[in-house]
Amino acid sequence: MNHLPQAWGRPRDDIYGAYDHSYLPQTHANTHPTTHTQSPVVTGTSVLGLKFKDGVVLAADNLASYGSLARFTDVKRLKPFNRKAVVGFGGDVSDMQYLDRLLNSLDVQENYSGAATTEEDDGEAPAATADGEGGEDKHKAILDAKNLHTYLSKVLYKRRSDFNPLWNAILVAGLTTPPPPAPSTSTSSPKDTTTSKPTGPAPSRKPIPYLAYADLLGTTYSSPTLATGFGAHLAVPIMRRAVPDEAAAAKLSREEAVEIVKKCMKVLFYRDARSMNEYSLCVIDGKGVDLQENIKLEGESWAFAEGIKGYGTQTV
Amino acid sequence: MNTLVARYSQPAAHTHAYNADEDSQQLIQDAAPQLSLNFALPPIASTAQWLRAMTDDHSNPNVPIKIAHGTTTLAFRFKGGIIVATDSRATAGNWIASQTVKKVIEINSALLGTMAGGAADCQYWLAYLGMQCRLHELRHKRRISVAAASKILANLVYSYKGMGLSMGTMCAGVTPTEGPALYYIDSDGTRLAGNLFCVGSGQTFAYGVLDAEYKYDMEEDEALELGRRSILAATHRDAYSGGFVNLYHVKEEGWVKHGFNDVNPQFWRYKLEKGEFSNVNAKLDETSGKV
Amino acid sequence: MAAFTSYVSSAGQPSYSFPQQQSAPSHASRAPIQHSFYPYTDNGGSTLGISGDNFTIIAGDTRSTSGYNINTRYEPKLFRIGGEGSEHKGSKIVLSVVGFAADGHALKERLDTVVKMYRYQHGKEMSVNACAQRLSHILYNKRFFPYYVQAILGGVDEEGRGALYSYDPVGSYEREFCRAAGAGASLIMPFLDNQVNLKNQYEPAAPQGLEKPQLVPQPLQRAATEELVRDAFTSAVERHIEVGDGLQMMIITKDGIEEVFSPLKMD
Repeated sequence: MNHLPQAWGRPRDDIYGAYDHSYLPQTHANTHPTTHTQSPVVTGTSVLGLKFKDGVVLAADNLASYGSLARFTDVKRLKPFNRKAVVGFGGDVSDMQYLDRLLNSLDVQENYSGAATTEEDDGEAPAATADGEGGEDKHKAILDAKNLHTYLSKVLYKRRSDFNPLWNAILVAGLTTPPPPAPSTSTSSPKDTTTSKPTGPAPSRKPIPYLAYADLLGTTYSSPTLATGFGAHLAVPIMRRAVPDEAAAAKLSREEAVEIVKKCMKVLFYRDARSMNEYSLCVIDGKGVDLQENIKLEGESWAFAEGIKGYGTQTV
Repeated sequence: MNTLVARYSQPAAHTHAYNADEDSQQLIQDAAPQLSLNFALPPIASTAQWLRAMTDDHSNPNVPIKIAHGTTTLAFRFKGGIIVATDSRATAGNWIASQTVKKVIEINSALLGTMAGGAADCQYWLAYLGMQCRLHELRHKRRISVAAASKILANLVYSYKGMGLSMGTMCAGVTPTEGPALYYIDSDGTRLAGNLFCVGSGQTFAYGVLDAEYKYDMEEDEALELGRRSILAATHRDAYSGGFVNLYHVKEEGWVKHGFNDVNPQFWRYKLEKGEFSNVNAKLDETSGKV
Repeated sequence: MAAFTSYVSSAGQPSYSFPQQQSAPSHASRAPIQHSFYPYTDNGGSTLGISGDNFTIIAGDTRSTSGYNINTRYEPKLFRIGGEGSEHKGSKIVLSVVGFAADGHALKERLDTVVKMYRYQHGKEMSVNACAQRLSHILYNKRFFPYYVQAILGGVDEEGRGALYSYDPVGSYEREFCRAAGAGASLIMPFLDNQVNLKNQYEPAAPQGLEKPQLVPQPLQRAATEELVRDAFTSAVERHIEVGDGLQMMIITKDGIEEVFSPLKMD
């Protein structure tokens, strides 16, 4: 411990060694080449998610890059978990595959351990007609999107706390059953200056759309519009223009939502150098999971590029 | 072999990644009230270096985690017991995190500890010391001596030496066997008995006043006044000290608190009524006729 | 900081018998260094708490950021602690955390578990001061791998008065009347010092001089306090990029927790 007044109580260099900036991220002065205990090798780029009135749209392209090399062009990054939840992966592909194996084994375990209680409020039984699964399944309380997100975020947070992160940014999309109405002691006060919470509990317990993010640090958040990676810069503004809040999402139709997401995928293809014009798109709603894995970008036109001047080799 | 079979016969969700067992372990640990000595460590080779990179705001003012710091504390023995005085400011980098910190920690009705360095380190380990002192009382049916109490603390922090703890504390108490006893303990494991100590970033300023005026044969009010004046001098000259003067007198019957008073009015009282701090030119008010 | 360089000679080398400053980490001579993963991030936002005579208000904005991006406009920083089930029915303690949101969540889950286990084991609710001390111990348990959070805990104490506790990242804590934390703390705290603790406010009509009496803080009324919180946040939103979108307030009284949400500027 340093006893000099100007640094009283701080570590002393002759005991602890000089202050080492290399533990801090690059934004701070860093004289060493930066490597990590583990860093992504084969990576996937953005995943987009958008809520609409009775479900969620999720999209990610089919490319796995090796640095700047477009290495694998047929890698599916949207992984359906069950009829209520789909996970979209950005970041390291091997970590994605590990998580996918983990989720598969979780699914097997869940099905065998027979969480046999019936879902009394899931009364409409929408899945029975849509996904040809056994009629027995619809009576089971299955892990919904929210449960799955909680699980995955704990896996990610644990791995970051072990300094051995899973190098992914993921979106979990699907449906969840809202909590029962809040207890009377915690109701919103009826003041005129206040509005209700954006995600206030719905009066009925019908499953509602759910979309949330989690990443390698264990950071989590939820929003009607979400994107990972480059999408957070390029796609989120486009999606937010159409869906600024939950209320707008509750008015949006499935067709409109798909249209907006397709538009975002096009913008990302134009500007994200690690993207591809073939992608997967998934719609999760009360009818189940509708996953299309080989969508081609439509109406692609590079005409706009003609007018761009001022950088690269083109100077006039 | 059995462990191998067990390992591969379980579903992957059980053995890998997130293990619910670990959480329930945590839960069991959490359920019992604890002043635990099992600290979580970052899973890397040089934990102290890493911790320093995250928290040493002197070497790097932009560290992500700023721990509350900074202090002037003093304690001295005199014929009537021990005076303990502190300021009340806590700083995190250049930010004043608090002006109302209680830096005198009441370990029990007869023992006081002071707080300099990492605020959390001092609070936690003096609370731990309080627990050990109480256990000593229950086991031996008499109050612990100040020497023993201070040694518990010194041994404890010595076992964490080099890991990045930061504390400079004084243990003050009066017991029938020892009389007034004062010990200085810091996170290097140093433990010193003495008549007079000043600890913290403002220690030099406090020593200046205290050394000049200190006599063992002081009256109680004289001693209290000296403690107060020394802290005041430090708050005046040390940017990392300030707030309130926290003043205690330890006697054999136990300690007595002598107020937690704002520095500002006291400063002006010393200046205007006694003519001290004449380095400050500004007069409080020309028209009040009090100068 | 710079003001203290006078202790060091002009060459930057101090005149002490032991070496003080090495110019750069001399890794060549030591064991190979381990470049490690950086486990923290800052999600911005701000929180604030004020305690009154028979209530405590804890408030926080609902923006979550990473760098210059807004992750979402609604990510609560306030958590009910204890009570029954996942809905925290009947809970009377609120924890707010700013800093690294994932650490915040982990902290909240641990404290919530502790408070619930306490009730199962002792058959009574945990008091706020016990909960406050326990939170300090949970934070200190990670002394060598800290939670990157600034926490504020609010509730009503056993005498029915508002109780508010503030924490540093490694668990030093103090009971206070008001406290702001997070990105906007340096904007909000001076305002609170002035308006809640009436710092640097004197009797207007009193004569100048040493006897000039300071205004004495009076117990706050609930309606006025809510307005104070709103003013603090609308001001912080004007001047800090990481604060905005929504204001979530939880008012804790002996009857429970009342939650109020109001919009803030979204720019």
